[in-house]
Amino acid sequence: MKITKTIALSYKILTAHKLRTALCISSMTIGVAAVVVMVSMGRGAQKRVLDMIHDMGTNLIVVNAGHVTLVGGRERQSAIVTSLRPEDADAILDHCTSVIEVAPETSRKMNVEWESENLMTEIVGISPAAFRIRNIEIKTGSNFDSIENDTGKRVAIVGSVIVEKLFNGENPVGYRIRIGNAPFDVVGVMKAKGVDANGVDRDDRVLIPIKTAMLRLVRTTFIQKIHIQVADSEQLERAETEIRDLLRERHRLRDKPDDFTIQNQATLVQTERESARILTLLIGSVAAISLIVGGIGILAVMLTASRERRREIGLRRAIGARRRDIRTQFLLESLIIACLGGFSGTVLGILSNFLASKLGGWTALQSWDVTGAGLALSAIIGLIFGIYPASKASKLEPIEALRTE
Amino acid sequence: MIKIKNIEKTYIKASVLTPVLCGITLSIQRGEYVAIMGTSGTGKSTLMNIIGCLDKPTSGQLELDGIDVYKLDDDTPSSLRNNKIGFVFQQFFLLERTTALDNVLLPFIYADKYPADAIQRAKKTLANVGLEDRTEYLANELSGGQQQRVAIARALINDPDVILADEPTGNLDSTSTAEILEIFNRLNKEGRTIVVVTHDRAVAEHAQRILELKDGLITENGTNPNTENSDIH
Repeated sequence: MKITKTIALSYKILTAHKLRTALCISSMTIGVAAVVVMVSMGRGAQKRVLDMIHDMGTNLIVVNAGHVTLVGGRERQSAIVTSLRPEDADAILDHCTSVIEVAPETSRKMNVEWESENLMTEIVGISPAAFRIRNIEIKTGSNFDSIENDTGKRVAIVGSVIVEKLFNGENPVGYRIRIGNAPFDVVGVMKAKGVDANGVDRDDRVLIPIKTAMLRLVRTTFIQKIHIQVADSEQLERAETEIRDLLRERHRLRDKPDDFTIQNQATLVQTERESARILTLLIGSVAAISLIVGGIGILAVMLTASRERRREIGLRRAIGARRRDIRTQFLLESLIIACLGGFSGTVLGILSNFLASKLGGWTALQSWDVTGAGLALSAIIGLIFGIYPASKASKLEPIEALRTE
Repeated sequence: MIKIKNIEKTYIKASVLTPVLCGITLSIQRGEYVAIMGTSGTGKSTLMNIIGCLDKPTSGQLELDGIDVYKLDDDTPSSLRNNKIGFVFQQFFLLERTTALDNVLLPFIYADKYPADAIQRAKKTLANVGLEDRTEYLANELSGGQQQRVAIARALINDPDVILADEPTGNLDSTSTAEILEIFNRLNKEGRTIVVVTHDRAVAEHAQRILELKDGLITENGTNPNTENSDIH
């Protein structure tokens, strides 16, 4: 049988039954579009989470006071623990060879006032090293230095949400605000960073020197976190062990469990990547089901076609078609339907991704491997679901087929 | 050219055996024009289907050009139908919503080699049956007589040795019937073997030889004295 001529003939037959073919193609279109959109959305979400983790800084280890557990992918601290101190941060920098920088942190929700405006926000006491470790960039003004930190100067850097809510969008550099009852001079505005992996808005906060925070605002000797930067990612595991050993010794824990939690960025990335992969797989599977439904559509249409076209099959057999020619013809028709559905589904999927990103603000990461896989899968589904009707059609005896009323 | 030895055909339906052909032996020479006659249910179409390798006999032997058809694999009858036999059916069996030209080209798809001049040949064959101005018409846009002529053109396209026609004028008016029979006469004069199954004596009268079937057996097998085509090629 001449394959190119048969393809042309199959195409003519399919176009002769426009409605039936269009319905069949549309079922495949929806299936493939669902795969393309859902997997792109899944990958987009994965990328977003990973970007957030990378945005925290590079080669990072975070020591939290007490037990921090992940609930619904977000950090939950069990209770206030007072054992983590700024001296621990200094000791880590001094004793752990793989550590290159440390940034202790303390925070508390407090009232901030400017003129007649006031709001509750997170006041975060950080050391100047945190700007480097955690990629905190200044949009306007300047950050504070170690002298301002050591002398407990009342300076503040505000986030973009604070600028909008408290200062109505005005540049606040040079303004004097009150945090609690203490006056602070605004020296800078942070570059917007958005929401972090824990769902915390990193722009709805005020940064002040940690020493100022501990001495003048929260008035405690303990801290909540230490951000630690390690020389390179290879040393993250070793650094974690060193830090754990050192803190256990400093906190005299011996047989007691840790009173701190260490989060290794590499582990975090791996965990997030794994959960995102499972999510992508899950939604991909749901989408694949719709692809199978599309395949069942092909099966139903081709079975109907093989019944309706018994006389045509009989005629083809009468003029010399072998069983395998009939089988090939029906398979080609399924394949053409599936490929056209696959192609239009891909286009629809890409278009939907574009619209979802532009209009809906969704992060859809167009993955070309999935697009290619969707196309290939549609062809495979066309073949698989086309085999039974094709085989059924080819088994018809010519005279039996010709006698069909 | 066609040799049938002791062909029997029995249909089995709901455990009931219905014998249709009861031991037919027949020989048709190259260039002959044979009509198979009989009333409804006498097995004439079954006999034609067996000669055309469309149906298998329950027992017996069929030879086409010395080839024992049913001793070979499943592909051989298909190949024979494509190369050596052209079918014309009462219901025409054209592909609807497909042009006359594409319908005529159809057998080429299943031929060993798709000829380079296929379209020219198809147009020439259509012209041969008087349809040179209907090549691009869809099958369903043609009259019954024109559709049957397209079917004849399709049967002729692979230059077969024999044309098997089952009630070819059964669905046609008298004018179209005359046209179709005229085409058969012409084809036979050109040397083509023609076997026509009919219940219509007037149609059978065009053949050189008339076989009469009754109860699955040939009851008459004689040369038609009325035909002018009495010489066997």
